[in-house]
Amino acid sequence: VSGRRILAAAGLVALVVAGIDWQYLALPFVDRSGLAELARREADRQGYPHYPRFLEAVRARTRSGQSIAIVAPPMRWSSGYDYAYYRASYFLAGRTVLPVIDRHDRAHAENLQAADFIAVWEQPFPLAGHRVAWRGEGGILLVRE
Amino acid sequence: MIAVVAGILSLTVLGIPVALAIERGTRPLCALGLGFLYGSGLAYGTLLMLSPLGWTLPRVATAMLIVTSACLMLMLRAPRPEPAAARELARGFALPDLLTLVTLAGFACWVTLAPLWEWDFWAIWGLKARVFAERGAIDWRFLESPWNLFAHTDYPLLLPLDLDFFALAGGAWDDRWLGLFFVAFAAALVLIVRDLAADELTPNGAAAVALAVAAVACARRAGTAEGPLIALGSAAILMLRRAILHDDDAALRHGAILLGLAACTKNEGQSLVVAVMGGMLAAGAGRRIVRLWPAAALLLPWIVLRALHRLPTDLFSGSPLPRVLERFRHFGPIGRSLVAHLANPWLFIVSLLVLLLVRDRGRERFVRTTLGIQTAIFLAIYLETPNDVFWQISTSWQRVSAHLLVPLTFSAAMVLGRQKAEGRDEGRKQKAEGRRASLHDDFG
Repeated sequence: VSGRRILAAAGLVALVVAGIDWQYLALPFVDRSGLAELARREADRQGYPHYPRFLEAVRARTRSGQSIAIVAPPMRWSSGYDYAYYRASYFLAGRTVLPVIDRHDRAHAENLQAADFIAVWEQPFPLAGHRVAWRGEGGILLVRE
Repeated sequence: MIAVVAGILSLTVLGIPVALAIERGTRPLCALGLGFLYGSGLAYGTLLMLSPLGWTLPRVATAMLIVTSACLMLMLRAPRPEPAAARELARGFALPDLLTLVTLAGFACWVTLAPLWEWDFWAIWGLKARVFAERGAIDWRFLESPWNLFAHTDYPLLLPLDLDFFALAGGAWDDRWLGLFFVAFAAALVLIVRDLAADELTPNGAAAVALAVAAVACARRAGTAEGPLIALGSAAILMLRRAILHDDDAALRHGAILLGLAACTKNEGQSLVVAVMGGMLAAGAGRRIVRLWPAAALLLPWIVLRALHRLPTDLFSGSPLPRVLERFRHFGPIGRSLVAHLANPWLFIVSLLVLLLVRDRGRERFVRTTLGIQTAIFLAIYLETPNDVFWQISTSWQRVSAHLLVPLTFSAAMVLGRQKAEGRDEGRKQKAEGRRASLHDDFG
């Protein structure tokens, strides 16, 4: 057997070994319940684990085409408001979801005024001209009077 | 789950006639992989074109069936493959194939642990798909809204529209089992790699190459466009490699269409078109660049729609030159950050070493140049990005560098395969010469 052939075969073996993902190979044969629980929580791990339940409830009480402004505790964009706003956009797809601050942390009161509803998560938010349409799951849904 | 599996099977069945219309003699493994990839492209094109009318399942299904039937007619008019080619249909199952299947099964377990959880899924790809599914058409008002720039509204729509196909097929949006769609992309690429490698290697060698790239094809961040882009982009490069090396017109057609679909998936797919052109020039196939027209034709509608709706991109803003010059001065830390965030560094190192150190008489020039240009484009974008460059690298380079890995690994494996074959031939030659010499001694 020539040295060239041995080197080439060794190279091919190295490629295969470097390419194999041992975690994928093991995954079908191990108990995945713990991993599944982690995956279920992953999207909201850095935010609020119960926030999706609130958003689902808001979705059930609003219709496609209506506009909803999102008020959530971290009233700074990169401290978590971005998560709250993006997550709401996903769960409330079909509605027009409006932020009340932008990525430069500037307030946008006009969105509060323009929205049909205001979804307020985990903070008291008295607002003149609005009444509570629903309360639960850690938040309030306000509707314009 | 049944709706997603049925959707994947439908896309594959609808796509196979497209693959066979392009090349009637396409081998079964390759036809299966290409069938799914073309099916995903067919769903994208159909939903894009029908969007002004609104999507209903009968309307979309009828349009797709018309295209598939037309492809069947084209296929039937094409000459039958020669018996010699038909004999090649059987390509033996080898032991590494078993590990490849387990890898795909592991990926299926991973992506179905829970509803797709990646940030980029629910804030970009899945978000757009869900918004469109609610409306029953592309929601241009959503894409044009300045509040939704975070969803990268300028990105091409192949993946969101494919996800909408599943929402249509299932009757509602359900992200619980959508992960299986990404497994189908990985499986399609593995089938194509396995088949193309078998042209140049033994069944065991081809199976080993498929195993080496399987985990890369199974892009861990499921729900994002990385998996589809890796599948479409890599399949395109490998088909075009075949077209150049074997003067294969059918492979050129496959490559051009796959390249177009890659460009409809992510902006990196669009830069890949430029990189491929550079690769073809370097490989002496410059005259065939015009034959890539299907790639441009597939991308064109999105480019026009994006311009008409004035969808802004966050890639280029402000004046880039001072940023680039400033970052050139800090290229050391930027380079270290790129190395630290490389996807599968060992596979990169081994493949690069093979391609740099082993003589291959220019056979891999197309792949090497294409990947080199694509890498240069990535680096230019990092140097230019209006975001913090280290944040940009840490959040994207691992995903983006994986786009290069399948063709890189394939190319390295083919170089090694040729070395092994030449080594075997040399050994046989030496043995034959030795035998001749001993016969000469005995009877001379």
